[in-house]
Amino acid sequence: MNRREAVARVAWLMGGTLSTPTLMAMSQWGQTADKQSSGLSKADSLLDDSQREIVARVSDIIIPRTDTPGAIDAGVPAFMDVMLRDCYKKPAQDAFVAGVRNLESKNFLALKPDQQTEILKQVEASATPSATSPSFWQIVKEVTLLGYFTSEAGIKASFDYQPIPGRFEVIKIKPGQKDFMYGNQV
Amino acid sequence: MNLNIKSEKAQTYDAIVVGSGMTGGMAAKELTERGLKVLMLERGYEVKHVEDYKTAMKDPWEFEHRGKITNVAAEEHYASMYFSAKEGTQYLYTNDKENPYIQKRPFNWIRAYHTGGKSLLWGKQSYRWNREDFLANAKQGLGVEWPIGYDDLVPWYNHVEKFVGVSGQAEGLDVLPDGQFLPPMAMTAPEQHLKKSVMQKLNRTITIGRVAHLTKPQPWHTALGRASCQFRNRCSRGCPFGAYFSSLAATIPAARQTNRLTVVHNAIVKEILLDSQGQKAKGVRVIDQNTMEVREFYAKVIFLNAGTIGSTSILMNSKSSRFPTGLGNDSDQLGRNLMDHHLSVGARADIEGFENDYYFGARPNALYIPRFRNWGNDKRGYLRGFGYQGGASRADWARGGTETGFGADFKAKMTQPGPWKINLSGFGEVLPDPNNRFYLSDTQTDKWGLPVVVFDADFGENERAMRKDIMNDGAEMLEAAGFKNVVPYDNAVAHMGLGIHEMGTARMGKDPKTSVLNKFNQVHACKNVFVTDGSAMTSASNVNPSITYMALTARAAKYAVDQLKARSL
Repeated sequence: MNRREAVARVAWLMGGTLSTPTLMAMSQWGQTADKQSSGLSKADSLLDDSQREIVARVSDIIIPRTDTPGAIDAGVPAFMDVMLRDCYKKPAQDAFVAGVRNLESKNFLALKPDQQTEILKQVEASATPSATSPSFWQIVKEVTLLGYFTSEAGIKASFDYQPIPGRFEVIKIKPGQKDFMYGNQV
Repeated sequence: MNLNIKSEKAQTYDAIVVGSGMTGGMAAKELTERGLKVLMLERGYEVKHVEDYKTAMKDPWEFEHRGKITNVAAEEHYASMYFSAKEGTQYLYTNDKENPYIQKRPFNWIRAYHTGGKSLLWGKQSYRWNREDFLANAKQGLGVEWPIGYDDLVPWYNHVEKFVGVSGQAEGLDVLPDGQFLPPMAMTAPEQHLKKSVMQKLNRTITIGRVAHLTKPQPWHTALGRASCQFRNRCSRGCPFGAYFSSLAATIPAARQTNRLTVVHNAIVKEILLDSQGQKAKGVRVIDQNTMEVREFYAKVIFLNAGTIGSTSILMNSKSSRFPTGLGNDSDQLGRNLMDHHLSVGARADIEGFENDYYFGARPNALYIPRFRNWGNDKRGYLRGFGYQGGASRADWARGGTETGFGADFKAKMTQPGPWKINLSGFGEVLPDPNNRFYLSDTQTDKWGLPVVVFDADFGENERAMRKDIMNDGAEMLEAAGFKNVVPYDNAVAHMGLGIHEMGTARMGKDPKTSVLNKFNQVHACKNVFVTDGSAMTSASNVNPSITYMALTARAAKYAVDQLKARSL
């Protein structure tokens, strides 16, 4: 359901109780919905091209393309760059870069998919955060999950997205029930 | 000369209300509806209901950092970053870097300098105080005696609750008096189970949170353009439906409908001006926060509703030969007895056995467990009590961050509803203590030349003793329900201010020698100045304070208008 439909639905649900300014403001949002540009220029990245490729590959192993889009389809690699630069402090950035270099030293990109998975299992098993920062694995996994499960592609493929549920109701799970997503998670 | 008289007349109102938040809105509504011409002064920028809630309708993917705080934002909003402000809400939190304060002991001063103030950010939990809350100080010889009792506030609780719209379940308890309720929100299946178990095994009541959301709007709500809660739980980005109560959605529109309200933004009140005898206030002096222009406004009566620290700071800044240490400070109580609720302590658990139970919609509410310690026959080694807020919900995809695994199966698993979890978080009463205080710096000023606030307050032995019970009793209730992996917790970072329930610093009392305000929230020694926000509180109770502030405000407004009509102000 897009925003315009959502707004129309709410207006209908409420039987026209919304004031005109409210409805006008809502349709304004619909028209001016700004699309965030994602990703940075390469110069701003903490990683070089091949390191960025490693991170992209790692994120796509964590959330691969199946019958639904994967991490790369959902724009996670560019998001990873933004988050690393803007939301993590220096010790965490350093831990992340060190983690990528470790994979680089193992010639990660040249390995077969099975071998790559095997290495990541080892990385996961040995991941211990230091006193000053989370580990490489913790960061790459958390940002991948966040980037994917809050992306438009990830949300619409994975969940029953209900931007305006309109009610709170205790229910029983139906067979094959997907998780509800309400858009309140950010 | 002639010009000056003219302009003075043009800037003269019946009443000035300083602040546009929870109590400022209520003061403006009550005063205008009772016939007064009111000027509302807001120190911050203008926020317009609905159209300025710029993130309210955004989808998750429209946030560059998907809701996370950037390093830059964290530096600018250090007070509110612990748990309050996120990417979609930070524009409603005051920038601490531009508005600094000093922490002699740790204090998080969370502010909202814009129209609506913190009424745009509150948790909406709305509980009446009980009869004992007003008696405890006197019985225990702590602080000073309240000059009013529960019965004085009952009609005003009724009046305010009806207007605000509070959903909740009547329970008939003395410890948590019932109010004027809209239909209650539902409890999830494990919550219902907890409620039953805790009643059977421990004889404690659990109720659904009493919360200022319209579950069934009444005609006076819809007349203001307010509509039913849509269960999005995106309240902190501003509610375009006006479903939760804020001054922006409700009291200010009501005041505007009278055509007697004028609002001026960017107006930082520097001080209150006294008349030539130095006994009565005649107006306020303000600094425009953008242009630095200094202006004066005049009125017969002044309501301070700038938030606890803000209102008391204005009194402290208002020095004169009659009041050398601040307006109304004959008792030396200005700034003292700073209180908050202490929180970040409780218990959590995992829940098994409700795998087929689920819920539709995001409930902006929690369970409430009313105080049971030091109540009735229960006697503890500390004074006063605490309540809990919390609830059960199913974990979402974010659980994957702490679970081992990745790949296709892991991805599929994260799209299914996760395990049930429950958390009970305690809110404890903080005792009044004259050494818990704030004062104005002698040396440091902000960019408007006003002295910077210095906080010097902390929890005491009583609060620390209470925290042990909050953990243990929380765990005990979760165990009574048979929940798994029960973990009591006490977050070491908890300190004053994080509850965002600043109270005290200009307390009410019977004796001008020991209190700042009388029983109608008037400054004892300057009767046409009223302070009706959290600064007026003589003790703190353990329940959320906003609805009580609003009841006090409405009561004081009626009194002020009556006194004006009787020409005794």
